[in-house]
Amino acid sequence: MAVARTNGLALLLLPSALLFALFFFVPIGLMAVMSLLTGNPVVAANVAFTARHYLRIVNDPYYLEVIWTTIRIGLWTTLISLLIGYPLAHWMARIRSRAGHAALLMAVLAPMLTGVVVRTFAWMALLSDKGVINQILASLGLTTKPVQLMYNETGIVVGLVHIYVPFMVLTLTGVIGRIDERLEQAAESLGASPLRSFLEVTLPLSLPGILAGSLLVFALSISAYVTPILLGGFQIMTLPILIYQQISANFNIGFAAALGMVLLLVSLLLIVAYNRVLGLVSGQHELQ
Amino acid sequence: MTLSPKAMHRRRFLTLGASLGFGALSAPHVARADEPVLNITGWGGKWGDIMSSDIGPAFEKEFNCKLRTDTALPFLPKLQASSRSAPIYDVLHTNSNEQWAAAEMGLVEPKVDPKLVPNLADVYPYAVSDKIVGVSIFTSAIGLGMRTDKGFAGITSWKELWEAKYNGVRGGYVIPVNSLGQAFVMMCGTLFGKGQTDLDAAYAALEKLKPIKLVDFTGAMEKLFLSGEVCLGVIHDSGIYRYDGQNQPIDFVTPGEGVLSLEQVLAITPGSKVKELANAYVNYMLRPEVQKRLAETVWYSPANRNVKLDAKYDARLLTTPEKVAKLIQVDWKWYNAQKDEIDSRVNRIFRA
Repeated sequence: MAVARTNGLALLLLPSALLFALFFFVPIGLMAVMSLLTGNPVVAANVAFTARHYLRIVNDPYYLEVIWTTIRIGLWTTLISLLIGYPLAHWMARIRSRAGHAALLMAVLAPMLTGVVVRTFAWMALLSDKGVINQILASLGLTTKPVQLMYNETGIVVGLVHIYVPFMVLTLTGVIGRIDERLEQAAESLGASPLRSFLEVTLPLSLPGILAGSLLVFALSISAYVTPILLGGFQIMTLPILIYQQISANFNIGFAAALGMVLLLVSLLLIVAYNRVLGLVSGQHELQ
Repeated sequence: MTLSPKAMHRRRFLTLGASLGFGALSAPHVARADEPVLNITGWGGKWGDIMSSDIGPAFEKEFNCKLRTDTALPFLPKLQASSRSAPIYDVLHTNSNEQWAAAEMGLVEPKVDPKLVPNLADVYPYAVSDKIVGVSIFTSAIGLGMRTDKGFAGITSWKELWEAKYNGVRGGYVIPVNSLGQAFVMMCGTLFGKGQTDLDAAYAALEKLKPIKLVDFTGAMEKLFLSGEVCLGVIHDSGIYRYDGQNQPIDFVTPGEGVLSLEQVLAITPGSKVKELANAYVNYMLRPEVQKRLAETVWYSPANRNVKLDAKYDARLLTTPEKVAKLIQVDWKWYNAQKDEIDSRVNRIFRA
């Protein structure tokens, strides 16, 4: 009977396992192999193993700068999304009124109803030299020449934060909503101020949500392509832009695959490190 | 188990309905199963509109075939990933730099056979020169675009792009991904050094070009001109002339040093299973009436020297041997061989 139940469960897992194998492990495996080859073995003869793509990344400081720029944009986006998203998520989780909760939820979800490209172009209309903000500043006589609000990392982070804050809020709302409010009340009844009660009770208990939301936003930010290319004006190079450039204009699939593997490795390392640090800080051993 | 007559009736009815439905849906495909299919690449916008509404259907009717066009860039990586013996495209239409890269990888045939494409006899020499893989069916002139309402008149030289008064309103292309940007690197070598291949002079000139707004394709540059974000920038003539009659304060400048050639090139893939049709398509695209229709729609200069354009187009496009002589062709084979080095350098130059 138990064996039959196990077989049934295994059958139920089969579609998702196949899906993962086909669309996750096989492409990544192929990318890893391509990054170690001199060419595409399907269409080219005399293909051999090589480490030259990785050596090129390591030996040229430009690529290391690109990796660091990508990580820096990801970290800033994650931090600002967390600072904006946490209070909003807390409010959404604690609000008594159903209508209020629905209104907040709609406000958070509304930006997601339009595509990333549309939202980025909207930011360009606001931040460009002839954009709304610069026009207002000039018409008020506050500036004589346009303030550079885009074509830099700040512009990219602004655009990315707008896109990814909903992911942070939705992840955090569920976790904060599950924290028993009576714990905070107990802390306050024992003399803790609301701030201390938040810092010593609510915040530590919401760390799994902070971790999940941060990882989600970080992973999405470092792999973003449209927003960095449009708001960065092609003057800020990130790994996804470089990868696309290598495939579309240099036709160097091996080097693009190596850059992709580096992006994956960097993400994994940072996720593990973040997990450990958060676990140490919170004392939650399951996070370490 | 027996089925009631009513159930049988319903089941037969459903089966019959499903068969009829399937038959109706598949009939056009079955009827066209013998029709050869020619897979090509092409542009969107006005080019795509006229190709799908007029020029493409006329070709299909005349040659009893189906023309399947891919307009989703980038084309070359898709061709690169497809089988050599059954390539995804039969005719590749791109700018010249990508055709050279394709030819180097053995993805397209380096030349078109004049015996199979008789209209080749009527093209200007640049269209089949040693700087061209396949055949150039049209060209545009890469020069300078300018706003006419900002007091920047009387521009005659490429070198004026470097003048400090254009700081903040200067426009150019992302060199690693754009043909105009790459051609402009060679122009910088010519303007400030010993020639197209003088990369050190080109890098020094590019360094002095900052601050500059960069875009990845002409459509984006057009938007910058129209919005006034850019007042002087690199662009091809078609990108300016296509706004003719719309009362836009923009104009195209042909610098005294000459204009760079931006060729629209067709090349046939070696593994194509419909070579005869592919050659027929190249020949068709070089027909004077097809060339005239496309040239007057998208403002490209026709490669066929027998094309007679209406006066408005004739006055501006490169339609005589004297005008065509102003074109500077780029040695893309040499450029592609240095592309990694150039990309690495210009990415550093233009980073914020």
